[in-house]
Amino acid sequence: MCWSSIAHDTIQDQRYGSGFGMLQGLLSILRKLKSTPDQEVRILLLGLDNGGKTTLLKQLASEDISHITPTQGFNIKSVQSQGFKLNVWDIGGQRKIRPYWRNYFENTDVLIYVIDSADRKRFEETGQELAELLDEEKLSGVPVLIFANKQDLLTAAPASEIAEGLNLHTIRDRIWQIQSCSALTGEGVQDGMNWVCKSVNAKKK
Amino acid sequence: MGCWFSKKSKRKSPEKEPPTTVEETTNSSSNANNVALSSSATEDPPKQYSWDKRDKVDPKDFMLTGLKDVTVGRLPGKLNGQQFVIQDCEGCNIFVFDHSATITIDDCTNCRVVLGPVKGSVFFRDCKDIKCVVACQQFRTRDCKKMEVFLCCATQPIIESSTGMKFGCYQYYYPELAFHFKDAGLSIFNNNWSNVHDFTPVSGETNWSLLPEDTAVLDHVPSPDLESEFKSVRVSAEASRSIVPLTKGGRRKDSEESCLFVFFAGDYTTANARKLIDEAIGRGFVLIQTKEVTMRPEDVSRVFQNNAEGLTEWITKGPVTALELNGEGVVEACKGIASEMFSAAKVFVSDSKSTSSRDVDNFFNFADMQMGL
Repeated sequence: MCWSSIAHDTIQDQRYGSGFGMLQGLLSILRKLKSTPDQEVRILLLGLDNGGKTTLLKQLASEDISHITPTQGFNIKSVQSQGFKLNVWDIGGQRKIRPYWRNYFENTDVLIYVIDSADRKRFEETGQELAELLDEEKLSGVPVLIFANKQDLLTAAPASEIAEGLNLHTIRDRIWQIQSCSALTGEGVQDGMNWVCKSVNAKKK
Repeated sequence: MGCWFSKKSKRKSPEKEPPTTVEETTNSSSNANNVALSSSATEDPPKQYSWDKRDKVDPKDFMLTGLKDVTVGRLPGKLNGQQFVIQDCEGCNIFVFDHSATITIDDCTNCRVVLGPVKGSVFFRDCKDIKCVVACQQFRTRDCKKMEVFLCCATQPIIESSTGMKFGCYQYYYPELAFHFKDAGLSIFNNNWSNVHDFTPVSGETNWSLLPEDTAVLDHVPSPDLESEFKSVRVSAEASRSIVPLTKGGRRKDSEESCLFVFFAGDYTTANARKLIDEAIGRGFVLIQTKEVTMRPEDVSRVFQNNAEGLTEWITKGPVTALELNGEGVVEACKGIASEMFSAAKVFVSDSKSTSSRDVDNFFNFADMQMGL
């Protein structure tokens, strides 16, 4: 500590009373805390085409979801949630462009995998893609939230059935959660995101 | 039920403790189907969602499976916004005369299909020799071959690994159709039928093209058989009756002169727009494209530039409906029509031939961006 500031504090104390210097110190600490940025969290949003990823992204950002176009490349949005700044990367899921998913793996904090629960014809395909993702070195240990989406639709399989079909209980190398939702109505979405926020920093090395 | 993927995935070393999930907000409910999904020291009571509580419906009522050489579908009021599934049909005439949430069509061959307005996506997979009339928010295909699609799509249609795909403008009418469009949240003025994105383009070939302009819908997708259960549905595909206006879309324009005509929100906007179209067509002009889109005050000056004054308050009342008309002398004609037929309505019309193509570009570029994401 430099001599001049001690002298300064002493003079202040003499003028205003001995508590003054301490108060100044406290205030400067508080100021620093306020300017600490929220922790940034990188979230990767994957799943087959037509699964509802972009609808989910728009729902998270509280934007209009009545006019969404099939994603040709990717969409990215930043959303404040529970003290975190979530940077969400929504990547197009057509079969042809899935090889590009790996370009986005690095530094992912949480993986969100979206499943169309009402597209039974493609359950096997989506299971396959998820299995391959969980095998990826660059995603090793990354917590995964599986959204069993489109629960608002008639033929939607319940999350329990999907969990069973995907053999989620055999996942041993990371924390995971399955959450039923309707990205369209928003129901269940916040519950899933609560888990995401809690799981941040739980990445296993 | 078993596992859906056959590939055995490598899991990490077994010495590690199997992790528990961090928080127990599962979606289990009282019925036997849902199970507690993970173990955790503190279990919150299972949360009930609206899908846990709703009445169970027989999924078969909303599916068409394995039919051959028959006329089938749904009459108005029978779907009422639910999901619909069509699969493994051959040689069928399929009429879905109601609005729905989303429709998938899998493994169908040689069918003619009419789909009432769909709020979400229409997805054709592994289909061949299909002729269809479709109105939807998203149009998607994968692994399809030889399809003719008369389309009204709110967003850019996409195809993947598909060939021989031909597209034309949606032209259809049945009495309840206008209501079904509203129920599905679709605007008759937002139709991107002609600008298709191909995820698997092949160099030297085109997987998709536009149908000839004079293609008659009913020649390709005939009305229901008069002996069928659909005989009561009075179908028409005439341009004058079609709920969705006929647009030239991406086809080459006949003239260099276009005009932007914008109706600001009001009680009779749709009716007025249709009146304008009828009048303009009657005079030999061509409708290129239309858009119904919300504008914000900051968009007004960018889009209307020198003419923006006074328009800002008009855009707050609701979405605007814009039309691009094309033909020699169309600007003067539109100005005349505006003052003769729409003096009471709030409209914008291009001022002159020299500025009108800029008006058109400014507006429709803005609309494309606005509706992109």
